[in-house]
Amino acid sequence: MIKLALITCLSLAPLGAQELKIPASLDRLAAKATEVVDVTMDANLLQLAGRFLSDKNPDDAQVKKLIEGLKGIYVRSFEFAKQGEYQDSDVEPVRAQLHTPAWSRIVGVRSQKSNENSEVYVKTGNGKIGGLAILVTEPKQLTIVSIEGSIDPDQLGQLGGHFGIPKIDTRKETGHGKDE
Amino acid sequence: MQDFEQQLRDALARKEQPPYFEAKVLAATRRQPKPVFLRWAFATASALLIAAGIWTDHRAGIQAKEQLELALRVTVTELGKVQRTVRASTEEE
Repeated sequence: MIKLALITCLSLAPLGAQELKIPASLDRLAAKATEVVDVTMDANLLQLAGRFLSDKNPDDAQVKKLIEGLKGIYVRSFEFAKQGEYQDSDVEPVRAQLHTPAWSRIVGVRSQKSNENSEVYVKTGNGKIGGLAILVTEPKQLTIVSIEGSIDPDQLGQLGGHFGIPKIDTRKETGHGKDE
Repeated sequence: MQDFEQQLRDALARKEQPPYFEAKVLAATRRQPKPVFLRWAFATASALLIAAGIWTDHRAGIQAKEQLELALRVTVTELGKVQRTVRASTEEE
């Protein structure tokens, strides 16, 4: 019985390791930032928020449907007054976690003009998206988003224009082929 | 052994009740009801505690909803940025 439990634990360990952990070291950037967004919502908190979303309100209902399969949402966004307040080494621990077989980079683009680097990763398993990670680095801004659980990116896009969320312009979708 | 039997017999022997025994028992059973204000105070305190619990739950729920809105706003904004960067990059080529 102990052997079986041990085998189960060992076999489940890699699954746990696939989750993107936002390193605590990033928190020190908050002191230098002029604006900080720090959201940590685990499954329990998402469930609680879901209870306060009305089925009668179409916007709420849309969000409720979106979060149904989610296990967590983690956001860290730092806006700085001047450039150079964070280093690549601050972001490296996040990238290292995303450069594992569980994650696939679906978008990776660097703009020379604005010196912006955007990366979108998805975690796939059994033909489903099991997680989404967004990493956007700009000279004066750093944003990391990690969404755990079953998520439909189209549903996310549909939230634009509702709920105080900016609308995503989907007129041209041709840019998605621009991966590394 | 005989001593023991004697002790037992003495212990179990019928004894007369002490004086005022009945009155004491009756007085103990006739408990005074709590004053009305105490009952009201207890009920009010209970209601306040329940209301405080509900309010705390409600507050936590509202905060969770606000956090969720904020998280989704940042996520969709960043996805929009990614899309614009990709588009700009494609147009440059």
